[in-house]
Amino acid sequence: MLELARFDGRNRVRGSLYLSVAMAALAALMIWIFPSYSDAFGEDEEILDALPDAMIRLFDVQTLASLEGFLAFELYVFGWIILLGLYLAYLGAGTVADDIERGRMDVVLSMPVSRARVVFERYAALAVPIVAVNVLTPIVVYVGAELVDDPIPATDVVAVHLLSIPYLFACAAIGLAASVVVDRVGIAQRLAVGITFGLFLVESLLVDTDYEAFGVVSPTRYYDPNEILLEGTHDPVNAGVLIAMIVVLLAASVAWFRRRDV
Amino acid sequence: MAAIELEGLTKDYGEVLANDDVTFDVERGEIFGYLGPNGAGKTTTIRTLLGFISPTDGTARVLGREVTDEAELLEAKRRIGYLPDDPAFDESVTGREILELHASIKGDERSEELLELFDPPLDRTVRHYSHGNVKKLGLVTTFMHDPELAILDEPTGGLDPLMKQRFAEFLREERSRGMTVFLSSHILGEVRRLCDRVGIIRNGRLVAVEPVEALLNRSGKVVRLRAEEPIPRSKLDLEGVYDLETTLSDGGDGPDGTERPAESSVETTATNVDVDRDEVTGETAFTECTFTFTGDVNVLLERLGEYRLIDLSLEEAPLEAVFLRFYGEHDGTDDGEPVTEDGSRTESGRGTANRTGGAGDA
Repeated sequence: MLELARFDGRNRVRGSLYLSVAMAALAALMIWIFPSYSDAFGEDEEILDALPDAMIRLFDVQTLASLEGFLAFELYVFGWIILLGLYLAYLGAGTVADDIERGRMDVVLSMPVSRARVVFERYAALAVPIVAVNVLTPIVVYVGAELVDDPIPATDVVAVHLLSIPYLFACAAIGLAASVVVDRVGIAQRLAVGITFGLFLVESLLVDTDYEAFGVVSPTRYYDPNEILLEGTHDPVNAGVLIAMIVVLLAASVAWFRRRDV
Repeated sequence: MAAIELEGLTKDYGEVLANDDVTFDVERGEIFGYLGPNGAGKTTTIRTLLGFISPTDGTARVLGREVTDEAELLEAKRRIGYLPDDPAFDESVTGREILELHASIKGDERSEELLELFDPPLDRTVRHYSHGNVKKLGLVTTFMHDPELAILDEPTGGLDPLMKQRFAEFLREERSRGMTVFLSSHILGEVRRLCDRVGIIRNGRLVAVEPVEALLNRSGKVVRLRAEEPIPRSKLDLEGVYDLETTLSDGGDGPDGTERPAESSVETTATNVDVDRDEVTGETAFTECTFTFTGDVNVLLERLGEYRLIDLSLEEAPLEAVFLRFYGEHDGTDDGEPVTEDGSRTESGRGTANRTGGAGDA
């Protein structure tokens, strides 16, 4: 068991390390510029006030006056929810479809492995980038915050990263679903990125409107860095909803892939 | 119980009926050739046998297991080796890592011995493999777990002549150890050298299953020859000469070219050559010709012995021509193959080949 996942996971190690270093560097940059930003604007929210309303809503900007609020916006909403969310959807979309498009799936399925196992293990290997990005950055954030004399509670830092893991897996599952339905990898990737970004917009733009209910299917609703960093609320129910989403998408992907011709 | 059993296997893609009611068995311990022109439906049958695509109708069993039942088929796959037409592996890893993955999933009984035989460059990443090297790696992964049944889709494509030779020897040895081999090919000679029986598929329909000896007598050779002096056409008035195309150059009475030697090209079937006229014209003699020959080569050489030849080649007849001659009730127009009505391939050179049917224009 898990031979395919191990094989895939090993192939993802190098890329995941680069990704992890890049995200940690982004975190370091944000923390490094915050003190001078803070000195310039102090407690008043001039910049926040100047931002268009749509943008504030889009990125769920709560405050830029504290390091927590600043990081929630610049690093977590932008870097984690959008950048990494889309990237994982993209990676997920490349799993099965790429094998099919390049003719590798025939060799894989000629081995005594079930289709369910292929889908599951290909997906499981995405744990490598998902976990990797959440190892280095929290250390950088915690230590960096101490260094700029604006400490953030370790539990909040750990929580904001830990709770991003089901979120990123959910995005990857959207990609996986696209990957089993479409066998042209380019189309699967565009589809996955489009859907993931669409769901982000649905949740961000429809909040506080009559159509807010539509956001219920968006993974974004269930991962809120502001809530975690500013209010210290760690909601396990949200993680549970994300896990349920993952299970549904994974089951649907397996069911679809078992029935289709490759 | 046969190694492979197909019963009315049908795969309908809507616009193409890739397999149409295909029924045959592959017995244990034989090398069975699945022969057909490109696009005939060979790969469709093979991919159905491995459960990659599900049949529209009919059933198939490999090693006694239903191919439409995933759990049953998985059981069989432990004992099956499969080589795709164009095998592909993860490009970012080395051949060795590929073999390790395969070994961890299906076991490794004999990769060492296979590596000695086929020798892909294991320490290079697959990205840097040539087409032939990918095929060699594929051969190792196909046989490393010592399968009972090998399913090979065009196994020799991309291999150099030495490797082809080695591969043929290897297969014969495996057969003597009891392995069953089901291989597809569009090359008649290959199938003839390797197989015990052949199944012939054309346009998705199985047209014949027969022992390879039956095919031996049927296929024929393409003969091309060039002579210094004109040879009377009557010399080729032989049994087993088909699709004769002749050219007379230098000294014929064809339309005059100004600088280059004039060429006239006339083609008729051998049976209605006019042998009465004795002046040397494009109708009665030739200096170059091609035809398909199914008779005794010695008789042909005896006939031509008195002429000085510049060039003579005998090649395997193209499969399409053989098909049409012996199995072709339906014409080849619906699958876009370059085949004329009389079965000759349209490969006339610069001369204006005058294609005719059997009725002739002598």
